This record gives sequence, C-alpha cells and structure tokens, in this order.
Amino acid sequence: MKLSGVFGLPALLGAALVASASLAGAEHTSNWAVLVCTSRFWFNYRHLANVLSIYRTVKRLGIPDSQIILMLPDDMACNPRNAFPGTVYSNADRAVDLYGDNIEVDYRGYEVTVENFIRLLTDRVGDEMPRSKRLLTDDRSNILVYMTGHGGNEFLKFQDAEEIGAFDLADAFEQMWEKKRYNEILFMIDTCQANTMYSKLYSPNIIATGSSELDQSSYSHHADNDIGVAVIDRYTYYNLEFLETEVRDTSSKKTLGDLFDSYTFEKIHSHAGVRYDLFRGGAEAARKRLVTDFFGNVQNVEVDGAKNITALEEELLSLSRTIAALHRKADEQEAASQKNATEKAEENRVVVVQKKAQLAKPLTDENWWAKKALGLAAVAGCTLLWGLSSYLEGPGR
Amino acid sequence: MTIQQPLDKGAAAADLQNSAAVAAPAATTSNGLPLPARKEPPPEKPSDVRRRSYIILSFWLIVLCLGLPIWWKTTTIYRADLPLQEMLDWADGKACRPVFPLRISIQANALQEQEAQNLLRLTQHALDDLNDFSGHHLRLQLAPPAASENRDHDHDSVLTIRLLPGETTTASFDPHAPVLDITYPPNTLPSPTSSSSSLATYVAGQLRSTFAEEQATISYLLSTNSIPSEHRPQGLSPDVADSLSKRTTRSLKYAPTYHLTFSLFTSGPLPSSWDIEDAIHQYMKPVLDVLSPIHNFTIDTQVQLYATPGVQNQVLNKEDLSSFINAAEWPLSPSIGGAPTINFVVFAGNQTIAVPPTQDSADSSGTAPAPHSWLIPQWGTVYLLSLPSDTAHLSSEALKQPLLTFTSHLLSLTGMPQSGSLPLRLSTLARIRSADLLLRASSTLGSLARLALALPSISIPSSVADGVSKTMAHLRLACETLGRPEGLAHARVAEAEAERAFFEKSMVGQLYFPDEHKIAVYLPLLGPVAVPLVMGLLNELKAWRKRRREAAEVAQGKKKE
Repeated sequence: MKLSGVFGLPALLGAALVASASLAGAEHTSNWAVLVCTSRFWFNYRHLANVLSIYRTVKRLGIPDSQIILMLPDDMACNPRNAFPGTVYSNADRAVDLYGDNIEVDYRGYEVTVENFIRLLTDRVGDEMPRSKRLLTDDRSNILVYMTGHGGNEFLKFQDAEEIGAFDLADAFEQMWEKKRYNEILFMIDTCQANTMYSKLYSPNIIATGSSELDQSSYSHHADNDIGVAVIDRYTYYNLEFLETEVRDTSSKKTLGDLFDSYTFEKIHSHAGVRYDLFRGGAEAARKRLVTDFFGNVQNVEVDGAKNITALEEELLSLSRTIAALHRKADEQEAASQKNATEKAEENRVVVVQKKAQLAKPLTDENWWAKKALGLAAVAGCTLLWGLSSYLEGPGR
Repeated sequence: MTIQQPLDKGAAAADLQNSAAVAAPAATTSNGLPLPARKEPPPEKPSDVRRRSYIILSFWLIVLCLGLPIWWKTTTIYRADLPLQEMLDWADGKACRPVFPLRISIQANALQEQEAQNLLRLTQHALDDLNDFSGHHLRLQLAPPAASENRDHDHDSVLTIRLLPGETTTASFDPHAPVLDITYPPNTLPSPTSSSSSLATYVAGQLRSTFAEEQATISYLLSTNSIPSEHRPQGLSPDVADSLSKRTTRSLKYAPTYHLTFSLFTSGPLPSSWDIEDAIHQYMKPVLDVLSPIHNFTIDTQVQLYATPGVQNQVLNKEDLSSFINAAEWPLSPSIGGAPTINFVVFAGNQTIAVPPTQDSADSSGTAPAPHSWLIPQWGTVYLLSLPSDTAHLSSEALKQPLLTFTSHLLSLTGMPQSGSLPLRLSTLARIRSADLLLRASSTLGSLARLALALPSISIPSSVADGVSKTMAHLRLACETLGRPEGLAHARVAEAEAERAFFEKSMVGQLYFPDEHKIAVYLPLLGPVAVPLVMGLLNELKAWRKRRREAAEVAQGKKKE
C-alpha cells in the first residue's frame, strides 16, 4: 500500500500518457471468432452442440462466416444414432436446429488437431490453405476464442488422441501478440478444470473465463430423452441464456462485467473463473468492454456528407485520366528508349556470342586438368596396390 | 537370491540337466541337506579377466561413441543461427534512421544564375529554420534551364517549383504534375547582399504547408512504432494525432494487390442487371490506373435479388448502419486468391439514413441533404440507392454517383493523404507506404528475434535464416533509397520476406514438454539398459582396484623378503 502511495503520482502520470497515446488505438475494426470443439463420438454430442450454439450466436450478432473459424471433430447431424438426422439441438425443446442449412465448418473430423489449432492461431500455414480456413487478423481485430471438450489440469484433450497444454496455448497467444495479430482476446473455455487452462497465459490484452476450478468437473445441463444424450453443458447454457435474453442485437450495451456477474454456483454447479490481470486497465477496463465487442461485429462507421463532394470527385476523375494518359505516354517513351537500348545491347550480344563461339573450348581449363590428373592418379594407385599385393603374395607361395 | 547360494556338486549336476529349474533343487538342497564347507571356485584366468574388461569397455564405447551422438543428433532441434542482435536493432530503429531527403527543384528561367542561387540559399535557410523534424528533409536544388524545356518535371525531384514573374505573390498547384507555380512581383527578389527575403520566406512557408501532412503522418508512424524518441519530432498536436489515428484506423494494411468486390443487392426482384463493367471503366478505372504503381487491383461483381439487410427499419440510425450488412446471408467474402477484399455494396431499396452527417457539413450548408453512403473502416462502402420500383436495369449513368463515392472511399481506404494536388498526394502515398512497410518489416524481425529467444524449443529451419538475411539486405537498400520509387519496391520485398520468415510453416509443433514428460518417456527405455551397464562398470572398477591392492601387497611382500 505504501509503495503504491509513493509511486502513485508518477504511475498516474504515466498511465495518463499511455492512455492518451493508446486511447485511439483501442478501437477495433474487425471481429473474429475461433470456436473449437475437441471431442468426437456420439456421447459427446453436447460439446458439438455447445460450439454450434455459440456459432449461431456470433453469427446472429453479425460476425460473417469468413471471420468465424469453426472446428468440429465429428458430424453429429449425420451420425447413424441420431434420431433426428441432419439436425443438432442444444435444448430438449428442439426449437432451434443448430445445424440448419447455412453453416460453414472450416475444420472437420480428423483435421481438428492440436497442430492445426496452433497453426491456425499463429498462421503458420502453407500456401495451399484457403483464406476461409485462416485467421487473417491484425492489430485491430478482436478475437473470441471458445473451446470445449474434455480437459484436466492444464490440458485439453483433442479427439482422444492428443492434448493441448496450457503452456502451448499461452505460447501460441504470445506469438500472436508478438506479430500483432490481435487487439483484444476473449478466451472462453468450458471443460473440466477449465480455469487451469488459462492460468499459464502471459500475453497482454486477454480476458479469460472458464467454467470450473482445479479439481472441479464441468457438468452438463440436461439430456434429451429422444436424442438419448446430454445436449448442452451448464456453463455454455447460462452464457447462451444471457446472450439471448440480454444481448438481443448489436446495439446492446451490456458489458462483459454483466455477463460474468451472471455466473453463479447455483446455476453452473462449479466455480466459473475470470482472469482480468492481463488486460490493459485491469478488471475495471475489462468489465466495461461491451459483450458485442467480442460476440458481435460492430464498427465505427463513417457516414458520408452530402452530395457536394461530387464536383470534387469528378475533377479528381478527370485529373486521374489525364495523369494516367501522361504516365502511359511516359511509359511508352521509356519503353521505346529501352527498346532502342535493348536492340543495341542485343547487337552487342550477338557479336559477343559470335566471339565466344569462335573461341570455343572447355569452360574450365584448370579443373579439367585437375580432374584428369586425379583420375589418372587413382587408376595408377589402384594398379600399384594390386601389383604390390600380388608381389607380396607371390614369395609366400 | 537362491541362485547365489553355494551349491554342492550333486545339485550342480542336477542343475546342468535342467537349468530351468535352478531354484527348486537349490532350495531343497539348502533346506534338506547340511551345507558342505564353502568351496571357492577355481581362480579366474587372467585372460578371462581381461576379456571381461574388454567386453564391458566395448559396451561403454558403443554407448558413448555411437549411442550418445545418435541420440543427441536425432533429438536436438535444429535452430539456424539468426543475427538476433541485428534484428532487434532493426526493430528498435537503431539500424536505420528513416530519413526522407526530398529533393525539390526550382525552375527560375527568368532569373539570373546568381540571383537564383541567392534565392535558393535564403529559401533553404528559411526552410531549415521552420523544420523541427530531422527525419524529413527538404533539399532545394536549381533545375538546369535546359532540362526544363523538354520536360516539365524530372523524376529525381519530388516537386518542381516554377518561379514566374507576375503581379502579386501567388502559389498554385499544377493539377497534372507535381509542380508548384509561384508568381512573384519583381521587387520581392532578394538583393545579393540581403540576409532575408519575403519571397524566400513565402516559398519556404508554401513548401512547409505542402508537406505538413506527410511529415505529420510519417512522424505518427514512427511514434506508434518503437523508434527512439530523438528521431521523432516533438510537437505533434493532439488533434492532429487524433485525426491521423482515425485515418490509420480507416485505411487497410498495405498489400500489393487488393481485390475489389462490387455487389448489387436488391430488396425485391428488380433491378436485376447493371452496367457495372462500363461504369467501372468510366468512373473508377482512371483512379485505379493512377494507383497502379503502388497497388494492383482485381475486380469481381455480383448481383443478388431479394436480399434482406441486417436492419429492416425504414430509417436507419447510426447504430443500425454497422449492422446493416447481413453477414450471415450475403456472400461477401469470395476468398478468391490471396488478396484482401474491399467491398463496395450498392443496396437498392427504399431505406434512408437519418443521421446528421458530420458536424462541419451540417454547419456549413444548414440543411444537409440526407447521406446515401457510409464507410466501414478497413472493409469498404455501402451505398443506398433508392430507385423507382420498376427499374429493371441500372445504366452506367445511374451508377455514376455510387461509383464516384466508392472511388473517393477507395482513396481513403488506401490511406491517401487529403491535401495537395493529386500527383503530389500519390507520391506522398508511396513514401508513407514505404515508411510503413519498412517499419512493419523491422518490427516483424524484432518479433522473430524475441520469439527465438523466448521459445528455446522451437525449431528454426535454415529457410528462416535465409529470409531474415534477405529481409535485412532489402531493408538496408530501402533505408538508403527511402523517398525514392525504389524505396517502395525494396520495402515491399523486405516486408514479404519478413512475413514469410516469421510464418515459416515448419516452425510449429507442440512446443512445450514438461520435465515429467521427458522422464516418463526415457525411463522405461533407458532404465533397464542402464542398470546392467552401470553395475558392470562398477563391479569392474571394484575388481580392478582390488587387483591393484593385491598387486601392491605382493610387491611389498616381495620387498620385505
């Protein structure tokens, strides 16, 4: 306390300076969402339903499909055990078909691996990767990263085959920060012992939240008896409930603080956690961020003035025309002069080539002789050896 | 345990017959029969002893000379040598001081050589007094009069000032070339001895105001990157910084190619066709041509009928505008090629915008007509076109207004400065972009260096080192030629190489292995192998020491005798 008292003033000044410098930079111009389910098989139906319901929500709030990366390791809609083929529901009332007819899954089935996930975040992909499967963010992008699956202390299992560690995740985020690939990140994770997954993060401007503490399980909300399995997890269910009842459209002014305050142990049956300390401005600033800053696609648009700019634009147009014409003329002139030059050069070259042809001989004299000598020496050596050995063998007989 | 018990001869014979049942007879022997007196095995032959030592030695040799190097070689992560310090220097701005020496030539055909030189000297003085930003030099030079006759503007200089005698002191830009015409009354010419002149001051002031925006932009770029403060100008007023940051928010990141998507969305069945090709050719192509030294453009178009916007209100508020785009249903991201897309959307419907456009225009014109379009930063433009309901075809004439709006928005999306004549703005844009690219490539180098230091277990293939050296070579060239057209080309290559080096595909893997992990992998494998190896070595050493002691005793005994 004392320390903070002593350093209060300079820190405040510094903060004011930083704030004035970064206030304008805080604005984001695009929203991205990375929605990852990591488990396959029918009994994990609820994990896919979790991800798909978040997918529906961010889409409803305006993030286009090209800016949503959806990872689904299994295809519940086409699973033979699905009593409602072609559909996925996250609620027993089966009111909303999450699969629908307008869905873009970017990574499917065995493409959902730890490696691909880290490649996606760090954008270390080959040229063959289409733009729709890449996270093309920049320093003005807000990213929502939502993950769900089976996890444990500091790991999240991918497809029963491998797992991503909290350290790997933290390093991936750090690489993103180093390359200025995000403005702010909201990291959400719904799995057992989820809060351990964000405990190792160390890059700035990340708000992290998880469903359960160390040694706590994350529970499912309810099952659908006709589908036969649980259809959604509690944490995701109550997030969705908030988003659907409170954040009806992009003009909503609800903040992340409101969202986080809605988590209670009674509802979720585990202690949901939030981590603010990485965020610039700490808890206070983080809690003031709008929900739509991460779940929606809201930009500061610039409305144009009236029609009086037309004259200016037309002038600009005619100007451009003449300048382009001038450029073209200049280029032609240049090309003509270059042509002359190249013609001359070509003539020269022809002469040179002819000269070369006349003086034709092996390109590398010395090497040629050296090689000859080496070959000769090798043959001679072998012969000598053979002769010597036969001589030595001779007297013995 | 039982094996080690001494056996009598009979039991040993039985053992020979059935070596699998070694333990059972031994046990019965020790239990049932009284143990005979302890009988030592015959002494080992010295050759056997030596052979055993050789065997153990050879095992250890194989392990140490073959096993260890192979293990080391196959498990080390290849990390190419990167010039880390140099890379960090680039990122910190120590390797290159971004300096823009802009050459401005003065054409004064009406003046004597002497007079012109004098004026030039005075103007240069006045300029240097005004300039507080060392990174941005304006250097004046006298254009040879002969050259001025056949060409208006020579390519080495950024701007040509044409001094012409006239009635009053005026300045005007030539709209077609980077030429500033200044007229002066003859009496304002400085005398050869005077140390100041109103004309010189006037010219200097004109030049300064011409390049003020460029200076501000570049110094803003430098200040947002981590360039040491002594290279920066001090006075960047908050409102200038504010407008600059707004502009950088709006403009797209530099890419050599942009993809332009023109979309016509209609709320009903009509209009269903448009003369977009012709309209683009007429109203946009000239500007694209002018921009061609800096950017390439690819274009596609689409028409979609019965499109529902994200907001259905008749009158759109400012909040509605940002959610007007129906991202879920409008196919706006074609994912064609690798270029970033700029969207230009014409929406034919009857919705209107109910926002007072901006403060200034509302003030100036009183009742401003309702705006039709809005710009979405780094994304593109939406234009609302209200049409009579039976229009089936949009002629290029009807598209004139939208396309002119798109054109001016395209310029602001590419980060074009707003003041000055068009040729000058273009060259300024090229310089700003090269500075931007230079800084971005440098900061990428710094990121890569910090990453290499921070993640010791990440592999760094030689292609990365290659890319880094290429980047630095081009950065050096770009730094030297900053302000000239080659500068942009070099900066472009440097940035592309830096990106490729940073995003090297093979620099991924599960990076982090905790120590428990390593133990868990190695112990089951190496433990059983290591135990006999180490025990054998220890036994051998013990035996060797014992032999030495005995030998010493024997020697002593001999001496005593």
